[in-house]
Amino acid sequence: MSGMIPGGWNYVVAAYSVTAIVLAIYGASVIARLRNEITRRNHD
Amino acid sequence: MLTAALRKELLLQWRSRAQFMAVFVFGAAALLLFSFAVGPVAELLRQFSAGFLWLGLLLSSTLTLAESFHAEMENRAMEGLLLLPSNPRALYYGKAIANWLQLTLLGIALIPVMVVLYDAGTTRVPMLILVIALGTAGLSAPGTLYAAMTAQVTSKQTLLPLLLFPLIVPALLASVKATSLIILGDPMNQVRSWIVLLASFDAIYWSLCGLLFGNVVEE
Amino acid sequence: MYDDNNRFPRLPWIILGLGIVFLAIGSYIGLFVAPPEALMGQVQRIMYVHVPTAWNALLAMTFAFVCAVIFLFKSDWKWDARMEAAIEVGVVLAFLLCCQGAIWAKPTWGVWWDWDPRLTTTAVLLFAFLGILALRKFVDDPARRAIWSAVATIIAYVDVPIVYYSVRWWNSLHQLQSSPSTVSRQFWLPLRMNAFGILFLMTAFIMLRARVASMRLKHELAPPPVLGEMA
Repeated sequence: MSGMIPGGWNYVVAAYSVTAIVLAIYGASVIARLRNEITRRNHD
Repeated sequence: MLTAALRKELLLQWRSRAQFMAVFVFGAAALLLFSFAVGPVAELLRQFSAGFLWLGLLLSSTLTLAESFHAEMENRAMEGLLLLPSNPRALYYGKAIANWLQLTLLGIALIPVMVVLYDAGTTRVPMLILVIALGTAGLSAPGTLYAAMTAQVTSKQTLLPLLLFPLIVPALLASVKATSLIILGDPMNQVRSWIVLLASFDAIYWSLCGLLFGNVVEE
Repeated sequence: MYDDNNRFPRLPWIILGLGIVFLAIGSYIGLFVAPPEALMGQVQRIMYVHVPTAWNALLAMTFAFVCAVIFLFKSDWKWDARMEAAIEVGVVLAFLLCCQGAIWAKPTWGVWWDWDPRLTTTAVLLFAFLGILALRKFVDDPARRAIWSAVATIIAYVDVPIVYYSVRWWNSLHQLQSSPSTVSRQFWLPLRMNAFGILFLMTAFIMLRARVASMRLKHELAPPPVLGEMA
């Protein structure tokens, strides 16, 4: 393989965005579940 | 201990031989369906015959494996068996060997179906049987362990294949590759390396699953 | 603040913050500061997140394996909670890895999936660990659930090198591509920063998720409430 790949930026942006989005969504879901557990514990 | 467990298992399997016939018909039907998926192109079918055979075997194995703990579950005999002085390991190996034999038989029974449907004949039949034996051994060891687990769970139908299929990828790859070489020709004698891979997989999983089985059935 | 047994309730949040900072800086450098690579151009920049994700996915799965083994020996619930967390985080990272790999493969090889042994093994691993999460969902008894998923984790993890070698072999007969492994010296900085960034994020996620698991377990194992107190 020689030469540069044209139009590479779109893929780069896609990769970084997917990474950020997946990590953010997962983080949010963990925090939401943690809040859930805490409120449930405070209710008991 | 082991021979007693094995004898019991083989007796159970002999008693439910109608079930074996049903699984065989299922397997043969699967092979037929695969050819519909590809189309009536003889060369293509022959090319993929090994893959179809093993996929058919794999799908059939979920039926066989799930059934293997049926007797225990029906009468809640699982706990009863463990109260006997035999250890869980004997129970595991007895069942795993019985399942293996049944799957090997199934594989051999499907050979003529494969030969006819896909024009996939071969003269190296002993080698083919060896590959089937080693491949099904690879299915049986983890399969029996997971069958024991999932027999005690409500959604056993989905869980067993879900757990088993990713695990046996190496056995599947090696079995398909070896079978393919036997059917389509093997100029560089690569079959031996794939058989070694299969045998190693079997050795590792027959020991590991036997070791861990005690944890799975203890109360 | 959150858990009676935990002496450092703020620790995961600090680590989380650190992770975000490192990942942000590392990504910035990787995207805008580091020069494009000679052969692959801009697409090479994907490696600055892909490689760190790969390292951490493997780390998460390894940690899950270690927790599984420890749990089988010690029967201490906290190791079950940690294992559950590690498996879930590992699944997320493995999924991410497959996405990044596909995005990298398309411009490079022209196809979304090129059966690269490492990526294919990751896909198999993803399914294996998803299966374990499903197993956990379907088993109600906490003790059984813990033991069975520990056993399944051990079996799945032992399978990883076997899957890798068999796929590599299986693939080598058809293609002789080189994998995107080598990153030259001048590109190490964004790689390292992102590696630490994702490491910290992963650690924080595991800690928080383990806490969730731990609290759920406590609730499950607690004695049933007296009739008059039921809401």
